[in-house]
Amino acid sequence: MSVKALRIIWRVTALNFRAQMEYRTEFLLMIAIGAIWQVSVIVFATVLLSRFAGMGGWDSSDVLLIPATRMLAHGLFVLFLGRMHWAGRQIQEGRVDIYLMRPMPVHRQIQLAFFPTNAIGDLTVAAGLMVGALSRSDLDWTAGRITYLIAAVLGGMLLEAALFTVVASASLRFPAADYWGRWLEELLGTFGSYPLNVLPKAVGGLLTYGLPLAFVAYFPAAVLTGHGHTTGVPYWLAAASPLLGLLAYLGSRLLWRWSLGYYSGVNG
Amino acid sequence: MAAPHAWRAARVTPLGELNAPPRMTAVALRLAVQVVLVWSLWRGLYAQTGTTAGLSRDQAVTYAVLAVLASRLRELDQYAGRDTVLQHMHFGTIVYWYLRPLPPQRYYALRAAGEQLYGLAWALTGYVICLAAGVVEPPRSAAVTGVFVLSMLLGQWVLYYVMLVLDQLCFWTVRNTAAMLILLFAQNLLSGVYAPLWFFPDWFLTMSAFLPFQATLSVPLSLYVGRIPLSDAAFQLSVQAAWVVLLALFTRLLWRRAARRVISQGG
Repeated sequence: MSVKALRIIWRVTALNFRAQMEYRTEFLLMIAIGAIWQVSVIVFATVLLSRFAGMGGWDSSDVLLIPATRMLAHGLFVLFLGRMHWAGRQIQEGRVDIYLMRPMPVHRQIQLAFFPTNAIGDLTVAAGLMVGALSRSDLDWTAGRITYLIAAVLGGMLLEAALFTVVASASLRFPAADYWGRWLEELLGTFGSYPLNVLPKAVGGLLTYGLPLAFVAYFPAAVLTGHGHTTGVPYWLAAASPLLGLLAYLGSRLLWRWSLGYYSGVNG
Repeated sequence: MAAPHAWRAARVTPLGELNAPPRMTAVALRLAVQVVLVWSLWRGLYAQTGTTAGLSRDQAVTYAVLAVLASRLRELDQYAGRDTVLQHMHFGTIVYWYLRPLPPQRYYALRAAGEQLYGLAWALTGYVICLAAGVVEPPRSAAVTGVFVLSMLLGQWVLYYVMLVLDQLCFWTVRNTAAMLILLFAQNLLSGVYAPLWFFPDWFLTMSAFLPFQATLSVPLSLYVGRIPLSDAAFQLSVQAAWVVLLALFTRLLWRRAARRVISQGG
């Protein structure tokens, strides 16, 4: 990406941010909604952890590392690549046709459609939860562990982006496929934050190999907390989660480019 | 109003759904997967625990699965059909609701009734399958069945008004996506969709007792699983009925005031 392209991205983002600031109450409420949505995960996790004796053999401080990793990855996804989640809507409204006329990649234009104010709330709560999880952790946080945790957060962000890019690619041909995106968001929110070994093997397998949700936060957290050998997948596969996130994202971008080649728009 | 006209308005959303096969497939698959996941999660959680918060494993599983099925009752993608009040307010097309021979409040009620009946077909099908597969417990007696059906009906009625208030909010605020999302979130959390309210702390239960949300789902499901005994049913049903009356009066007032705020584009 050239310096000129980066400058354009920065200027469009700054303009989008100012546009969001035009309605101050809505701006503040958008920050609140990001925070509230994430707090719901914390409330639910806290309720479950206080009512039930641990989850799947994990103690509560280890469990907390899963939602903390997922939420931080999700917050970064919303901030940097989250408009892919809204690509289906933009396709339904025919905006892709306009994007195709402009001298900027369609993917980039979708990402620059608006500023994700809610990401501020998402990231604030996620950072708070991560600090809480790390302070309650008994693990020795060596440079290696910290590096792996950072890689896991970035890998989780890319994996989530990859999943939504696949849905957006499908929406280019079948606009109703956008519905799958909302389901994906719900699944990631509800089942991406717990040790999946609490589920039966077949269901855990589905969330590993069918929908690679387990790679977002569960496997990296398992590797970090010493539960890496009890996840039901080979240790190396669980440990390679951040790398898989990167590969999945690159693959999904190729799929997007291929799908865009076959996009015919509402007018044929 | 003639029945055929009412039928035409009521079937708008279900017809939109039936004309989008990928969405129908997605709904069926999503419902099936969600039921399996929720069933697995609660069984897994109860693996080393007996009765918690007054709920046994089978009660908790039944509650959670029924909550998933009930959430289908009003979860249609009106946004794709460009027919949400929020969209009409943004695009200035809400004025057409006031130019038709059908009053907007009646159109809104008929659309919602059609949606809820369509959703009921999905929920009932799912319920029969879950019952046959032993995923949920059957009601403990005929009396429980009767009270549950009545409570569910009242709950859906309360839910209709809660959603209506959310939509009516759009008449007063130009940009209110966030406010809508916050209230929707409150509805889901305080009605027990995310987790049965019984698991939450006491202060949370006391607070939700003063709000209408738990009347939409938590009360009927708690009656079904037996967490609220039949002896308390009359009180709970009367609270639900009181919310219906209160919210009906409130939304009626809002409709009247909202009409004064509608202007055609250009003023």
